[in-house]
Amino acid sequence: MLHDYVLLTITGLLWGGVYLLMAEGLNLIYGVMKVVNLAHGDFIVAGGLLAVTLFSTHQLSPVTALPIAGVVLLLVGLAVQTGILERLAGSGSQAEIRTLLATFGLSYIVSNVALLLWGGQVQSIPFLEGSVNIGSLAIPENLLVCSLLAFIVAGAVHFWLTQTISGKSVRATAQSELGAAACGLNIKLIRAVTFALGSGMAGAAGAVMIVLIPFQANSGGDLTVQAFTVIALGGLGDYVGAVFAALLLGLTQSFTSYFLGSNAAAATVYLLFIVVLIFRPQGLLGRAGRV
Amino acid sequence: MRAETQLTETASPLDVVKPVRPGATAAKKPSILEWIPFAIGVATAVTLAFRGNGYVVQVLTSTAIFVVMACGWNIISGLVGYVSFGQVAFFGLGAYIAAGLIVNFQLPWYLAAAGAGVGAAVVALALGVIMLRLQGIFFALGMFGLARIGQIAATSLETTGGAMGETVPTTGDSLSTALTVIGLACAAVILTWFILRSRFGLQLLATRDDQIAAKGAGVNTQAVKVKAFCISACLAGLAGALYVWNIGYVDPTSAFNGTIELQTILMVLVGGIGTLWGPAVGAVLIALISQVLWARFPMEQQIILGSIVILVVILAPGGLVSILSRFGWACRRPVWAPSTGNTAMQTPVACQAGAVHPDGILRGEGLSKHFGGVAAVDNVDLHTESGKILAIIGPNGAGKSTLFDLLSGFARPTSGKVCFGNRELTGLKPHVVARSGVARTFQTSRLFPSLTIWETVLLASSSLHESRQTAITETTRILAEVGLLNSWPDFPERLSPGQQRLLEIARALALHPRVLLLDEAMAGMTPQEIARVHAVLEHAVAQGCSVVAIEHVLPAIAGLASRAQVLDFGKTIAEGVPAEVLRDPVVIDAYLGVGEQQYGNN
Repeated sequence: MLHDYVLLTITGLLWGGVYLLMAEGLNLIYGVMKVVNLAHGDFIVAGGLLAVTLFSTHQLSPVTALPIAGVVLLLVGLAVQTGILERLAGSGSQAEIRTLLATFGLSYIVSNVALLLWGGQVQSIPFLEGSVNIGSLAIPENLLVCSLLAFIVAGAVHFWLTQTISGKSVRATAQSELGAAACGLNIKLIRAVTFALGSGMAGAAGAVMIVLIPFQANSGGDLTVQAFTVIALGGLGDYVGAVFAALLLGLTQSFTSYFLGSNAAAATVYLLFIVVLIFRPQGLLGRAGRV
Repeated sequence: MRAETQLTETASPLDVVKPVRPGATAAKKPSILEWIPFAIGVATAVTLAFRGNGYVVQVLTSTAIFVVMACGWNIISGLVGYVSFGQVAFFGLGAYIAAGLIVNFQLPWYLAAAGAGVGAAVVALALGVIMLRLQGIFFALGMFGLARIGQIAATSLETTGGAMGETVPTTGDSLSTALTVIGLACAAVILTWFILRSRFGLQLLATRDDQIAAKGAGVNTQAVKVKAFCISACLAGLAGALYVWNIGYVDPTSAFNGTIELQTILMVLVGGIGTLWGPAVGAVLIALISQVLWARFPMEQQIILGSIVILVVILAPGGLVSILSRFGWACRRPVWAPSTGNTAMQTPVACQAGAVHPDGILRGEGLSKHFGGVAAVDNVDLHTESGKILAIIGPNGAGKSTLFDLLSGFARPTSGKVCFGNRELTGLKPHVVARSGVARTFQTSRLFPSLTIWETVLLASSSLHESRQTAITETTRILAEVGLLNSWPDFPERLSPGQQRLLEIARALALHPRVLLLDEAMAGMTPQEIARVHAVLEHAVAQGCSVVAIEHVLPAIAGLASRAQVLDFGKTIAEGVPAEVLRDPVVIDAYLGVGEQQYGNN
């Protein structure tokens, strides 16, 4: 029994890494632009399905596919930001709602384009199907590698945001657009870079995640909500908070699916999401966020 | 009295200006120009239902179901501003309730539909109390999550046929189905019309524009939101029930279908969110486009619909109806209108203030408010005197506005209490405080962009007076008193900043306050406007109303105030007759900044 709990805890924490990877792009975009990209999950799916194609046609491993999917979605994100989001009129809550509605429409476009390109079947990539044995514990190799990749990407983004001039410009814009503009930063450019980068991270996440979670073209909506759950739990736009939130979500998922089955686990994510929104709208770590 | 409305007004920055001359009664009549196309549309639909073939009748039925869905979504997302991505949760719920009632209890379809509508509304009541505490994206995605939970639950439950679903008996008579659904669609449109013509509609729009100001005007925003949520859910539930009755089958994927959600939102957006005609116009248009797309581009249909959403949001965020509104058509009409004749304006109804409640004294005892480690208000005592003006002055950040928040119920004191007469106000909701006779204005202008000048004051007045006639008379009188009656059908953005502050004072006065809390009400006013405010205040004070006025600088209020209380760093540092207080060296220090060291070390 103890053995089960240890295994569930370890896989839960590793899954936390996957959730973090899924949510990071969204978190970055929210942090700077204070908008939620409702097509985020569909970007992840597109990245994943692209990796499947690369694997089946060119035998590229997901690790090689990761940067390719990242760059492709980065370009998509750049196009979306400059072509759509930058053109929306209005300010404040009106602009927020318009962005939501626009990305809501985008979500349907992306998922249905994916449906046309890749069909509706559930797909995955067979990759590192062995497992690492620590004592009597068997941990899937692919989960280990994906989780590790996730934490590396998360660490890199955190380093970029806190230690480099370009990262600091992004954070400055996140905290006050007006102030950043007054310091001579090109806000429009920073928004475009951020949205593109966030979308690229979604694509990269997809290439990794499809190894672990089989996708189909219309899985995007669920992924968006899961990613949003992580960043809402962590306190919107809070990078450190998101790490804790992702780990918590990973543990919750691993335990509920073990004890209650996968249907209940899927519902638990939404329940957790709603409960946290209601009781701790500022996120688990309690830093005041805008609600 | 004039009985016509002008239809060729030039475009306004707001899309919903309906100019009507003061004293006009025409605004009460529905515009024939709007209802004629509606009647033609309904007549065409009914004719088609009788004459058309099976395919036409099916298209009609599904279009009408979408009109109902769109009207429902518009009420919560357009009128109250809570955009939901999970309206389909209630659609699915209604579908399952109806199916359950028909299959298990052999109820006739109309009872099953009624059960679905009521069931959805009851569930919405419970959910709304919780979910409506969320805002913006949180509410939208929270609702999305609920729809997914509903779908998962329906898949797991054996009694509803699980993932495979179950068949439901139908009439087999598509004509009667179509006529029923068309009838319900008309009812949904008329319901929206009715809401927009009522005080409930005013409360919805005010809540959408500015919840804090709405509370200050005596509106129980939470109750209003929950009510709207229930109505909205009820319509979605009915739509779900009729959908099941039409297709004779229910399963989790089609009942909680995201495409229905997308189409509903798309319809309202294209037609015009928050408008009366938008949902119906959009639903008919998109349903027809979808039919064409479905026939020609079955695979690309959703891509095209998604693109339309984006195009609409960029090019015409107000939808088709907003384009019409620019030419003066299909605008929202003002709710009610000033009483005709001049009697009400010339003989003001006696302000019931102090006359009726001589004990209307507001008393704050040992009030403190801490934000983290900072004491914004620190052990402040305060009391008003009937028929007197108390000035609260102090430099920036002295805690003046926080003190007002404590007095008016917008913030809970960390310690201390607020009493009004012999009633304790501490912990009461802002709208309760506002209705009980303590009205306030806000430091920054908080007017409702979508409410006319008339409606702004009427909102506050009608939250106090049950009787429509009293509310109208009172609103007319107050607008005349502040000199804004002539521009009653205008929107506040057309007013000068000073007039906007006057309008806020008028809104507060409409609550018949016995204590009026003015937060820098005279900032940015011209001398004439200040004189007008002084006259209004003198009138209120003569009726026994007491006034507490925050001013950053004393002269604006010094002539009227009988007492002044000076705050600095949350503490009362001086109190007394204004002229003496101003000479107090402690006060001078606080203003000139010499006192930084002396008082700033707490």
